[in-house]
Amino acid sequence: MRRSLVTAAALVSGLLVLLDLLVVNPSLGEAAGALNELLVLLVAAAAVGGGATLVAHHLRALASGGDDPIGSIVLLVGMAAIVVAGLRPGSSGSSDPVVLWLVAALLAPLAASLFALLFLFLLRAVRRGFALRFRETAVMAAAAAMVIVLLLPIGGQAGEWLTATAGWVRAVPLGGVFRGLLIGVGVMVAISAARSLLTLDRDDE
Amino acid sequence: MLRRSAPALLLLLLAGAWLVPQRPGDTTLRLASSDRSHVDQLLSAVGDLPINAMVLVACDADLGTYPEIRAATRALLADLAAHGDRTAMVSYTPEGRAIAAAERDRIARAGGTPPLDLGFVSGSEAGLVRGIASILPAATTGVLADEIRKRGGGIGAFDLVVVISGSDLSARSWVEQVGARLPKLKLAAIAPTFLDPELEPYLGSGQLVALLATLREGVGYAEAIGGDAVAGPASTPAPLPMLVGMLVALAALGEAALRRTGRVRTAAGRRPS
Repeated sequence: MRRSLVTAAALVSGLLVLLDLLVVNPSLGEAAGALNELLVLLVAAAAVGGGATLVAHHLRALASGGDDPIGSIVLLVGMAAIVVAGLRPGSSGSSDPVVLWLVAALLAPLAASLFALLFLFLLRAVRRGFALRFRETAVMAAAAAMVIVLLLPIGGQAGEWLTATAGWVRAVPLGGVFRGLLIGVGVMVAISAARSLLTLDRDDE
Repeated sequence: MLRRSAPALLLLLLAGAWLVPQRPGDTTLRLASSDRSHVDQLLSAVGDLPINAMVLVACDADLGTYPEIRAATRALLADLAAHGDRTAMVSYTPEGRAIAAAERDRIARAGGTPPLDLGFVSGSEAGLVRGIASILPAATTGVLADEIRKRGGGIGAFDLVVVISGSDLSARSWVEQVGARLPKLKLAAIAPTFLDPELEPYLGSGQLVALLATLREGVGYAEAIGGDAVAGPASTPAPLPMLVGMLVALAALGEAALRRTGRVRTAAGRRPS
């Protein structure tokens, strides 16, 4: 019964959005718009729920003396700082100077540092990869080395040749593989959606 | 000893390379792409806009990859202002909102007029679809806000939308959700390199009128607009530290492979016959 209700809701919602895309009708547009408003609320509720779950998880971890109390405290203090800065009385929300300072002085440098550390972590991972699975890592490292060489920031004739070759690699082999993956994912999503709408499951096969 | 101090040595090396100034006119090291086709497409997309055109900059970049497209984004905002276009900024992701707010703040501090703030819209793709009917927050006032209201109040009120991509909600979402519903709306994108294979087909099909999706294209565009003089100091990455980092990476990859190959050979040689 529960499954039928969910399937019916998905079927009606999907058909409504599809019809709104295909047919120009004000009533249909309003109904699809109302459905979209509900979806916006659902996404917002999911985000708030996710945040609340994260807070509850780390509070529980602190209470039970978890493995990483410092990490939990940093996370909770960070969340509290952003929430208080954005929601305190008189705050202008995400444009508030305190929020802007927290983002520019803390969040952005932290994110940049993490991405910079990726450089070292990746090299270390490659070293370990060579020890565990030599052939596979060798193929990956060779591809990475080739890409690095193609992107070397040098000028002159050599630089132009590297730029042209990098463009070809992006457009032909990489683009081909990526598009193939996207088409494959698209087909699988369409099949899954159709199965869901037609209420087919493994028992029907 | 050397292995332990390697990260510190690398940092010193990169800092040293960063401090070395590049001589003006020196083309030995060059980040800007020699292929100007993508740069010219964005220049035309902005240049061909009618007088007093309305441009929406949808800033949904990611804090991690934004440095790659920062120069191009700032150059675009400067180019739009130089053309007298009326610009508004909106974000559908929290990180994009943080970047948009910081960019508006930077423009205001430099004495310019920041783009109209349309704020953060929640709901991800559902919020994007909602923006087609209404994108203007109720409390927003001003000449541009009135003009947007006069033209319907939705995304369709704008002459051009430039999507600053990098997060989950990229130019692809705009093409799928907005382009399908507003086929006459011009969409352009600035994106980090990892999104290029995903977005390039949309440029080929005409669903995007312009796309800058590599660091080299971004730097080429920023240089075409006026470089750091327009985009702000140190917006464009310096080529020498980048070259040093890349050569270090190549050396580390080669050393790891040779070390492993050497160990395998040594082990094979020690095996009892």
